Formats: sequence, structure tokens, C-alpha cells
Amino acid sequence: MGMIAMQATKRSLFKALTTSCVIGLLAGCAPASDTAPAAKASAPTGTVSAAADFVPAVAAAPRLTPAQYRATVTDIFGPTIDLGGRFEPDMRIEGLLAIGSASVGVTPAGMEQYDTMADTIAAQVVLNPKNRAMMIPCKPAAENAPDDACAKMFLTNVGRLMFRRPMTNAEVTAYVSAANVAATKVGNFHEGLAMSLSAMLSSPQFLFRAPSTIKVKGQLELDAYSKASQLSFFLWNAGPDLQLLNAAQKGDLNTAKGLENQVTRMMASPRVEAGVRAFFADMFHFDDFESLRKDNLIYPMFSRQEARDAQEQTMRTLVDLLVTNRGDYRDIFVTKKTFLTPALGAIYRVPVVNDRPNGAVDPWQSYEFDASDPRGGILTHASFAALHSPANRSSATTRGKAIREVLLCQKVPAPPANVDFTLVNDTTIHKTARERLSAHVQNPVCAGCHKITDPMGLALENFDGAGAYRTEENGEKIDASGTLDGKTFSNPYELGQALKSSPAATSCLVDRLSAYALGRKPARGETPWIAKLKADFAARGYVVPDLMKTIATSPEFYRTAPIEAVQTASAQ
Amino acid sequence: MKARTMRWLLSAGVAGIALAGPAGVAQALESRSYVVSYFSQQLNSREGDCPGGVNPDDQAGQNAVILENLGYKPDEVKAMMAEWAKGGDGEQRIEAIINARAVIDGQQVNAYTHPEATKDPGLKQITSKVGYGFNLDGKDNEVAFVDPQTGEKGVDNQLSRAIGCNQNFRGSWDAPSAYGEWIWVQLKDSQPAWLITISGEDIDKDGPVTVRLTRALEYLKSNGDGSPRHFMTYRVDPDPRSHNEFKGEIKDGQITISEHKPLSILWNALSSPVLNLKNTHLRLRMLKGDTLDGLLGGYQPWTEIYFAFSHNGIVGDRPGLYWAMKKTADADPDPVTKQNMSISTAYRITAVPAFVVDAPQLRYQSAEVK
Repeated sequence: MGMIAMQATKRSLFKALTTSCVIGLLAGCAPASDTAPAAKASAPTGTVSAAADFVPAVAAAPRLTPAQYRATVTDIFGPTIDLGGRFEPDMRIEGLLAIGSASVGVTPAGMEQYDTMADTIAAQVVLNPKNRAMMIPCKPAAENAPDDACAKMFLTNVGRLMFRRPMTNAEVTAYVSAANVAATKVGNFHEGLAMSLSAMLSSPQFLFRAPSTIKVKGQLELDAYSKASQLSFFLWNAGPDLQLLNAAQKGDLNTAKGLENQVTRMMASPRVEAGVRAFFADMFHFDDFESLRKDNLIYPMFSRQEARDAQEQTMRTLVDLLVTNRGDYRDIFVTKKTFLTPALGAIYRVPVVNDRPNGAVDPWQSYEFDASDPRGGILTHASFAALHSPANRSSATTRGKAIREVLLCQKVPAPPANVDFTLVNDTTIHKTARERLSAHVQNPVCAGCHKITDPMGLALENFDGAGAYRTEENGEKIDASGTLDGKTFSNPYELGQALKSSPAATSCLVDRLSAYALGRKPARGETPWIAKLKADFAARGYVVPDLMKTIATSPEFYRTAPIEAVQTASAQ
Repeated sequence: MKARTMRWLLSAGVAGIALAGPAGVAQALESRSYVVSYFSQQLNSREGDCPGGVNPDDQAGQNAVILENLGYKPDEVKAMMAEWAKGGDGEQRIEAIINARAVIDGQQVNAYTHPEATKDPGLKQITSKVGYGFNLDGKDNEVAFVDPQTGEKGVDNQLSRAIGCNQNFRGSWDAPSAYGEWIWVQLKDSQPAWLITISGEDIDKDGPVTVRLTRALEYLKSNGDGSPRHFMTYRVDPDPRSHNEFKGEIKDGQITISEHKPLSILWNALSSPVLNLKNTHLRLRMLKGDTLDGLLGGYQPWTEIYFAFSHNGIVGDRPGLYWAMKKTADADPDPVTKQNMSISTAYRITAVPAFVVDAPQLRYQSAEVK
């Protein structure tokens, strides 16, 4: 058969299965009546009600992020599967890719990539005899002919994990039939099965997390499987596992107790680290490391490897403080404890011994900066200094802007299009960034924004564009003093202390985490819930896993509004 | 004192503790450590320092000279070199003649393995009176140099005299020789790094210091642009064969050693498995950016140098270099033959700041064999 005939069959199958779905994606694609076996749709018993003044918004239908796609494929088919393709870039909205992922579609070029990956994955899973023996639970009656029973067994098994719910009868029929038609045409059962699996991997049911809803006591909320999905992608950044799907099927997620049990189980799993990492990578814009470049004539120590190490250092620091030790979120701004590689040790000018043999994969060592060391807190990590600097110098303004926007959730207006950067770039007249920016803000058009970014950014001028510590710039002593919301500081560490005591920092974390979990910015009607989360976060000592658990067990997290609400709002 | 230097000093104090064990020295009040970032023979090539020009500087020219020395007539040499230049079987035939030009008991043998069995081609040698190095024997004579940096007379660097008219080795302080550059690039990524630790009361001031030269377990770490990375951490190889310690001093920003005992440090088969020096001399200038630059010199067994040149396949008449070194060797006479077995040398050595710590002795602990 030809490949063309295979692709044509796949496309017609894809079209038939998705036409109704794509149109109604936001409303959900899997009516419970057609689901086999159906999740218990009975009225939740024991669910804690949302606050009375809570008004939900329409649930998001995000596209799987590259990490989620990869994690799902790994969970279902194993870690050896090569994706064999590239993803379209995500879009950041309101500070998060997680929100942007609910606003993106798939372009023709993106679909081609998904299609390529689907074919590659399916071929590895089904056509590779070694993988096939592990992943397909049955053998066809004949290798050269269709076998609907075997195809159904395999496709319904993987389909439940891929679609994060049981496949509908229509879906099962369609995909098994497609496998049958293809197997007949090519005279090979496994090739037919691969074609069908590939179609599933390209389907919107797999690529998008489309929520299904039910009405309970007149209020719309996610159905059990959609709850499982929302929960799993929030806590693990991966699709629900079999236990969670089984809990959904039994209706456990519709009860406060059942939901609590699952959340507790998931929070106790090591996989929660992946969830925490995914959130902070999103919140801290670590995807920008992909395009980060430094001029290696100016920063010869900072290559792609050091960039990877720098973000991993911050990530390990966060995981260790917040998850392993259940520490106070505010301490991320001052903690002296971190993890370093020998290469980062060279940037930080501290000894880092790699006790492992030459060539060992994991060179990470725990490290605690001395009390007298100017470093402490993530602002003093190379990741922050390097990520928020241009290729050839540091930037007090960019760093200050990042603190405002990333860590405090405040908005800094974009510079005017005709801004003159001459004074900022010329180091011949004004030696230090403070002097240059001081001259630059003589222009009143620029002064307004610089007033809110520079006092913080200048405190980080002790770190060059690649994160190395310095006391001078162009021979002049660096003055790292500044103010944050009325609090004065004289060095980078004191800036971290000022951030630690800023209520905006913890408030921002709750805003970002709740938005990340929902895949959208909380609506005005959801403000009471957010306020409750903030109060709870403070009362529990700013422990991030506790906040995650509170969100995950909140009824508000699963409430939704009908799609008509959006359409009405749009029309108005 | 700058804060970063203070941290380096404080951390580098670890090196003093680290070395106290294997090297058996008292802990110093202050230490600074470095990793060697360049090491190769230091030449001082100048216009006209080889009478009649340098030895043929290309392989074809050198081969022609070798064939002439083997007794072939000019016409024969011309024809043979034309055959060689075509490549293929012809080239291999001529190469075989050249390679097997040594003769032992009437049998042709490999010239590079048996240089003594070749005829001395009489390679040209440096006639200049200016060269880098140290006055190792405390005397001045007609073959000694005057060092252009220090003005010291009686400088012994017979290795540079022996090999300096070979194009591969021509170089200066500012422009290292092609061989020096090439061999360092090979070595730095294929051998554990060498470490220098300077310990003393106050390294920013003149005064006595202890200089340790050791080997690391790690290789030299380079930056993306190939430059040596500063402030990497290296562990001292506990192997005692690479532990060297000398008394010395700092004066006017220059470190020298006053104790001229032998030095031994594991090296690399590309150069020599071990660098052995007698009457070791060292001078290192402390430069801006916390780097070191200077010379390490002494008497080195010249056969060890020869076999490094030989198996590296450098362009030129390698057995000819054997003869050149043999004739210019100036130390360690064999008690029977009176042939000097060592040659005076001077190596350029640069180093960048590093953290140096002890390594566990596990490598030398073995399970009890029953």
C-alpha cells in the first residue's frame, strides 16, 4: 500500500472523527451517554460547595505543551520512544504559557509536525517487533489480515490513556474499522493498526485537553474524567494514570473524600516534582533559555551548557526548598542553599568538587553560600542575571522589569517606539549603569517606567550579564543600593530580603499558580476563591505543596461556566 | 583586597590542607592555586639564527635531503621525489625507503625506533646568543644564551639550540611554535591538568613561599571559545609520583624557586609518560587577572624528548633531531660512555586561577587479596 493510500485513509478517518469534535471542542467531545464504560455521573456526594459569591468562568481547553505531550507518550509507550518531530512554539499570555496554550490552535505546519510525530511514534510502538511484544496485549489470528478483536483490545487500552477517558463507542468503531481497512489494503495487521494509532495521536482528543461538563444541582462543573485531567496536568504535568482514571470512573472524584484521597496520593508521588518544575519553568520564563545567547568574547564561560546548568540550579533550589523541605516560598529570595556544577562554580568563583568519575552524567553538588557571600536567593543565581540581560552586558532595567512582572505580577509598560538608547549603550561617558540610566531618564518620556524598574535592577548590577560577581564596572565602583516599595537596600542580598517581606511576592505566586492550574486567568467572579487561597497560603506558612493541594481539592477548581457565557460576552 | 580574590584565597586555603596529607607540609596561611593553561618548549627564533636558513621546512624538501644522505644521486632523488609527489604506491615505496633507512647488522630497520642506527644528517643548529631559560650550572660559556627578559647570562637551553632550526619549532615569546601550539591542543584535552599552588604568609607581598606542582584528576576545562576557564575546581591526584614541592620566594610580583631539586609529574604518552627534570628552575610572573606566565626549566633526559617527537610524526628529519640533541646534551654524563644523557630545557608555562582540593585516596585502596 502505498504510503499515499495509508495517509488518505488516515485523513478521512481523522476528518470523520473530528468534525463534530473540533467545532464543539470547548463544550467537550465525549458525551457520557456514548462513553463505555461511563463514569458515574451521579450527583456528587460530600463535595464541599464553592463560596456563595463565586462565579465560575468557562473552562480552558489547552493544547498539550511539548513537555506534556512527551510525558504522555512516555507514560503510555515508555521512555525509549523517539518523538521524531518538533512542536510549534507556545504563546505566553498574562505571564504564563499555560494560559497561552488554551488560546492557540494548530497551524497547517504544526499539524504536519503532529502528523509526522504520530507516524513516528506509531511505527515504533506497533511495527517494532520488540516494542510490539511489550505493548500489544494480543496476537492477531493472522499477520496478513485484519483482526478486529485484537485491534479493539489494543486501541481501547491505549485510547483510554491517550484521550484521558474511555473511548466512545463511535470512536472505537471508527478506529477499529480504520485499522481493518488499512490492514486489508496492505495485507498486514500491524501496519493497519499503526495507521489507526497514528490517527489517534493526531486527533484533537489527544492534542487538546477538551473539558467535558456535567450539571450538578444546577451548577456546571467538569465531569470526573475532565477533573482527573485537570488535576493530573496541574500536579504532574502529565496525563492521568490508571489509578486516577479508575477513580474517575468510579465517581470518586465527585466526592470530597475521594478527591482528597487522589490528591494526597498524587502529592506524595515523586512525580509532583515534574509538576512543580513545569510551573516554575513557566512562571520564570525558562523557555526563554532556548533562545538565550551570550557573546562569547565577553562571556567566554557562558555557553549553552552553562545556560542549562543555570536554569537547573534554580530549579533544583526551588524543588529542594519548596518540595523536599516544604519550606517557606518567601525564602526563595534569600536562601543560601543551592546546587552547583563545577562549571557554575567557576562562574560563582567557589570550589565545587565533582566526586564522580570523569564523564559522570550528574555533576550536581549541594552547596551553601557562606554568610559573607553576596549570593543568596534566586535573584543572585546566574539564571536570573543571564536570562534578563542582553548578549553583551547586564541590564538593570530588564532585570527590574522581570522582578516587577515575573515575581510581583505587576505590569511595566513597553518603552516608546522611538526611545533613544544611545546614552544607555555608551560606556565612554558614563561608566556605570547607574550613571548611564540616570542620564537616560532625563528624558521625561522614559523616566516614568524606569522609576519602577531601575531601583531594583540596579541592585543586581553586581552581577554581570552572565551572572559573575563584580564590584566594578569599567573601573568604577558599583553602587547596588536601591528601594522597593519604600524599603531601602544596599546590595543584592538585601533586595532579596525586601522581596521576601513584600506581600506582592506571595500574592503573585498564588495568582500565577491558580492561573496555571486553570489554564486561564481567574475571572472576576472567581476573586473570592483566589482571596481565600491567599489567606490559606499565608496561614499555612507559604508552603507551596499545601497551596497546590488546596487548589486541587477546591470545588472552585472544577467549576465551569457554559460556553454560551463566552459567546454572549463576545457578542456584547 | 577585592572580594572575589578574598573568596578565592579563603577557598584556596583548602589546597593547603589538601596537600598537607600527601605532600606532608604544614598548612600555609594563604594559598592561591592555578591550573596550567599552556606548556611547551620555549624558543626564541630570530632572523639569521640558523646559518644558511632553516632545515628544509616541508616534508618534500626534508625527504629529498634524507635521500641524498642515503647516497642517492641528484637525478635519482629528483625522480624519486616526483614519484613520491604523485602519491599512491609510489609514495609508499619512497616512504618505505625513508622509514627503513636505519641499519642494524646489515638489516634495514625502522629509523624512528632505531635513530642511533641512522646516519647523522647534521641538522643545522641555532647560533644565536639570545634565548630563554635559566643558568642551570651557574657558569657562562660559548653555547650559553643571554635571557632577553631577565638579562641573565649563561642561560642553558640546549634543547632550543638543537631543535630551533626546524621549522616546526620556530617561535617566540609572543608567537609560540607550530609544534608548541599543536602539542598543547592535543595534550590539554587528553591528560589530567597540572596544578600550581603558591602558599605563603601574604602572597601579595614579597617573601618566602612554597610552590607545589601537582597533577589533577580532571582535565583542563576550556570555555566555548577554547580559552582556559578560570576558577574551576580540580582535585589533586593522590598519586605521589606527581607531587612536587619547592621552597621559593615572591619578589616584585615574580615567583621563583630556590630549591632546585628534581621534578617529576605524570604527563602524556603524546609527549612523554612522565616529565622528569633535574636541577628544576621556575619563574612565574603574577599578571593581571590572577594569571601566571613564565618558564619551567631544568635538565631533561633527551631520549624521552626524542621519542615524543618521533611518535608524534612531526615534519622533518626526526632521527636527525635525535642526533642534534645527542650532540648538544649538556648534563648527566653516562659513567661509561661519557655521553650526556640530559639536555637543558626551558618550557613556557602559563596558568589561570583555580580551586584545588584534595581527592580521596580511594584510588589506592584495594581489596585485600586472599
